[in-house]
Amino acid sequence: MLALLIVGSFVLLSATYGQDSRGFQRGVSSIFSPVQSVADRALKPARDLVGWFDQTFDARGENSRLESELVIAREQAVAGQEALHENAQLRKLLDLDRSPVLAASAYDEVTGRVIARSPTQWRSSVTIDVGDGDGVRVDDPVISGDGLVGRISSVGPGSSQVMLITDHASAITAKVVPVGVQGVIKPEVGNPEDLILDFIDSTTEVHGGQTVVTAGWCAQGLCSLFPPGLPLGEVTKASIVEQEANEQVDVRPFADLRNLDLVQVLTGGSRG
Amino acid sequence: MIMTPKIVARIAAIGFLGVLLQLSFFSRVELFHVSPDVLPALVVCLALLGGSLTGAVAGFAIGLFVDSLLVEALGIASLVLLGTGYLAGLFRERFGIHSSLVPALLCMGLTLVAELGFAAIQLLLGVDAPISLLIVRDMLLKSVYAFFLGWPIYLLVRRVLRSALVEEPRVQRRRQPTVLGA
Repeated sequence: MLALLIVGSFVLLSATYGQDSRGFQRGVSSIFSPVQSVADRALKPARDLVGWFDQTFDARGENSRLESELVIAREQAVAGQEALHENAQLRKLLDLDRSPVLAASAYDEVTGRVIARSPTQWRSSVTIDVGDGDGVRVDDPVISGDGLVGRISSVGPGSSQVMLITDHASAITAKVVPVGVQGVIKPEVGNPEDLILDFIDSTTEVHGGQTVVTAGWCAQGLCSLFPPGLPLGEVTKASIVEQEANEQVDVRPFADLRNLDLVQVLTGGSRG
Repeated sequence: MIMTPKIVARIAAIGFLGVLLQLSFFSRVELFHVSPDVLPALVVCLALLGGSLTGAVAGFAIGLFVDSLLVEALGIASLVLLGTGYLAGLFRERFGIHSSLVPALLCMGLTLVAELGFAAIQLLLGVDAPISLLIVRDMLLKSVYAFFLGWPIYLLVRRVLRSALVEEPRVQRRRQPTVLGA
C-alpha cells in the first residue's frame, strides 16, 4: 500500500509538473471555492486578531523611520503636484490619452478577495474569488492599492490563482525611475520583503530610495504582460560593489504581500 | 484503530477542515513573519492514533487535496505528507506514546522533516531564483509553532476518533493501601 502511494505520488508529479492544463485541480478548486470564500469571511476576525499582535511588535521600531519618510514624501508631493499639472497640459497638447503607450488605461479592473494562500514559501501564490466568469484571464496583472502583486496563473469558473511576485518562477521587466535603468525583478525565495532587480546596466548608478516600476516593453509584436509604470517597489540596498560586480540591487516591494486581502485584476489589456 | 465507514468519514472531515483552516487562516496569519503550517502536525496526530498506514493514506490524501485547491502540480505535498504520516505511525507502532509530550515533540520534529522534504523536492525540481537564508528561520519557526499547536490538535483528533481507538491509554490512579477496618 505504501509503495502504491509513493508510486502514485511520483506518477502524479510526472504527469502534472510543468503542465499548464490542470483541469482536475481547477475543477476541485472551483467546487470548493465557495466554501473557501465562506471560511475566509468567517475567519477574518480571528486573522485580524493575530495580525494585530504581529503588527504591534513590528510597529514599535517603525515610527521614527516613517516620520522621516513623511518629510521626504511631503517634499515629493509638492513637486509631484507641479509635475501633474504640467503633465496634464502636455498630454492635452500631444493627445496621449489615446496612445498605446498608456496601456494601463486600456485595462478593466476586477476586484477580488483573497480566499486562500499557499502554506509554503517555496510556492508563493494566493487564490482569489473571481474567475473567468468575471472576465479574468491567464496572465492578467494583479495589483493592490500599493502596487503590483503578481499575475493570474490559472483561472477557474469562480476562482483564480495569482502567482505573486515573490514566487520563484516570477520574473518582471522593470525600470528604476527617474534614472531609467532597466532590469528584471526576481524574488529571493524565503524573504518576501526583498526582491532583486537583476541584470541592470552597471554604468548608471542607482541609489537607495528610488522607485522601481514595471518597464512594459514591446518589441517585434511581443509585449510584456504588465503595462508600463505599475509601481513595484523601492530600492533599499544599492551598493556600488553589488551594482558593478553582480549588476543587481535590492528592492522592497510596495505591496504588502503578507497581508493581502483585496486585489484588482487588470483584465482585457493588450497582451503579447 | 477500528476502521468503519463512519470513522473513515470522520478522518476525511478532519482532513477537509484542516486543509480549509490552513489555507484560509493559518497561511494568512503571521507571527514573527512566519505562518504556521498545521498540516504536517495534523497528519502526525492521525498517524499516532491510527498507525503508519492510516498516517500514510491520510497524508497522501491531504497533500493531494491541498495541491488541487491551490492548482499546483500534484504529488509534491502528497509525497511529503505521506512520508510524514508513515514515520509518525511507525514511531507509534515501535515505541508507543509514553508521555503526553510525545505528540507535541513529534509534531515539531516531523514538521521540520516535512519542511526539509518539501525544500528538497522543490530544489530537485528546480528553483529559478536565489534562496534566502531566512527560509531556515521559516522552517524552524514553523516547527516551533507545530509544537504548540500539535498538542491541542492531538487532543481534538483523539476526541473525534475516540470510538474507534482500541488502545486508548488510561491513566489509572493508584489507590492508597488501606488498613483493614479503617
